[in-house]
Amino acid sequence: MKADTSQFPELDKTKFEQRGTEFKLGIPVTNAVTVGNSIAVGFGDGTVRIFTSGKSSEPIKAHKGIVLCMSKDGDNILTGGDDGRFLKISLDGKISEIGNFGTRWVDHVTANNGSLVCSSGNIVYLWSPNHKEPKLFEHNSTIGGIAFDAKGRRLAVSRYGGVTLWKKDYSNKWNSSELNWKGSHNKVIFSPDGKYLVTSMQENQLHFWRLKDKIDSAMSGYGAKIKSFAFVDDSKYLATSGAKEAVCWPFDGDGPVGREPICLPYVGNKLVTFVEPFPNENAILTGLSDGSVFLSEIEKASNTIIIRSFTEFEVSAIAVTKDCSHLLIGDMGGNILWTSIWDEEKK
Amino acid sequence: MEETNKQVPVTVLTGFLGAGKTTLLNRILTEQHGKKYAVIVNEFGEQGIDNDLVVDADEEVFEMNNGCICCTVRGDLIRILSGLMKRADKLDAIIVETTGLADPAPVAQTFFVDQDVADRTKLDAIVTVADAVHLSTQLTDHHEAEEQIAFADVVLLNKIDLVDESGLEVVKERIKKINPFAKIINTTKCGVSLNEILNLDAFSLKRVLDVEPDFLTSDHDHEHDDDVTSLSFVSDTPLDMEKFQDWFSKLLQTKGQDILRTKGILDFTGESDRYVFQGVHMLMDASPMGKWPEGKERSSRLVFIGRNLESMNLKEGFENCKSA
Repeated sequence: MKADTSQFPELDKTKFEQRGTEFKLGIPVTNAVTVGNSIAVGFGDGTVRIFTSGKSSEPIKAHKGIVLCMSKDGDNILTGGDDGRFLKISLDGKISEIGNFGTRWVDHVTANNGSLVCSSGNIVYLWSPNHKEPKLFEHNSTIGGIAFDAKGRRLAVSRYGGVTLWKKDYSNKWNSSELNWKGSHNKVIFSPDGKYLVTSMQENQLHFWRLKDKIDSAMSGYGAKIKSFAFVDDSKYLATSGAKEAVCWPFDGDGPVGREPICLPYVGNKLVTFVEPFPNENAILTGLSDGSVFLSEIEKASNTIIIRSFTEFEVSAIAVTKDCSHLLIGDMGGNILWTSIWDEEKK
Repeated sequence: MEETNKQVPVTVLTGFLGAGKTTLLNRILTEQHGKKYAVIVNEFGEQGIDNDLVVDADEEVFEMNNGCICCTVRGDLIRILSGLMKRADKLDAIIVETTGLADPAPVAQTFFVDQDVADRTKLDAIVTVADAVHLSTQLTDHHEAEEQIAFADVVLLNKIDLVDESGLEVVKERIKKINPFAKIINTTKCGVSLNEILNLDAFSLKRVLDVEPDFLTSDHDHEHDDDVTSLSFVSDTPLDMEKFQDWFSKLLQTKGQDILRTKGILDFTGESDRYVFQGVHMLMDASPMGKWPEGKERSSRLVFIGRNLESMNLKEGFENCKSA
């Protein structure tokens, strides 16, 4: 990665826009998920499109209204919709229905080692491999987010008042413990090393727990709700949206308590709406409320390059293929950029 | 919460079980041909709803963790409204039907507190369907019934064919005493012209200027301490801005739980603009709203709806804000 000061949003198309393919679909992009070297995108009309190098992407009619959430299970895509359906979609577009909750939305989906999980209302449903009926995990309020740890032995469920942590013991029985913090918790993630649990809240702040001793703390100072956050470079930094800079909290050593985050500034002074780690690098792709997207090295902000110039619509999805050959950007105006990352001659 | 074209209007239907909310809802859905509505209902709905887009919700009241004790929001609405805004086809309106025992304050506060909701939707009006036969008893027995009247922009007084004229007057007086702003519409079977309940823009500051509250001159002697009532004040003497802000912010901070709604138009010394505000508990929306109309007397008007208003020395507080 090198600084490329010749590119500014107001000027010509970036080299990625020139090299890649732009789609102006006019349908809000709600999610994107990497499935091997393909990227699946969910839309606000219930369709899913799969982008693979050298192939065209036809819309797959998955849900009636909105693709609310997406995840993957091996080579399959998982989606939840406002039609109450939890679906599994193969890369060749075959749809199978895992669950149907009628007028109740499927708000969150995830999977681990063949176990398929979704939440609808205040209940988490878990389908173990080869089981027709799901196991139910009930909670005291509507669920804000669900996440497995890397090994799949712990399932975190965020809710009003904190997080319920479900742990599978060696007889495959799930036991719960509570991590409480006042307020409504939305998205939840584990750090890849399994040491931390982080949630975003209804208030403009994040909350984290260090799991070995249950020490917890807030990360605040944001101007907007934090809709997107992710761990970068294994678990070294937590990159976050919700401010006019990409705020990256240090999670190495003893964690972020008493330490300052690194704040990466961008041209245009717009709100950061999406952050996506660049695989295997200490770097992030940052999407802003005006549609522009940058690639930055966290510890070397001067090494920032522009990937996409502005579209006027907030960036709502960024994903990189597993082989790091291609990336995809989607926004709320239905604009998509699908591009190779490296120059052909550098390959 | 000022309006722009991009914001989808949200109408909130409140009212006790059996008052006729679902009847009204189905009328809206069947009579507004060619319009795309989303309807958010709860599982205790009275009967079937005839619409493509019905979302089931649990009324979840969340306290905001911001040190403000009465700042509660409806978590389910934040989730569902944010989701609906991702739809490819644009909605003409969203209708929220609440359960009979719901407090409308968290619903209204959601539109003040959540930025995503405020950016893309706007609270159009709170429409309360009341049963002319049973409202008096309900107001005595359930504080939620009082709140639903206190927050209403429109009260649809339904089933008037089942009460006599004097009975109807008693109910209407009771409503006016709680809420002098609310427009009362007499109906049987919710037979009302839909433009009287939709697209009212009742929560915009511009609308505060149009409202001439229908005050009763009755005294306040016979009330229980926890009855919801209203008090209003008028002054032809301009107010001192600093004194007013000082008094009013302290008042909302300390008594915000008992003050359900406030509205006002203020004439400040040395200011050429009218200042307009409206609030729900401690949350306020306020702005200068242009010059005073020429040839019209400038005056300040302030209205409170709430409990225990008599104990707040409101008259004295307001008098002290007058410029010396």
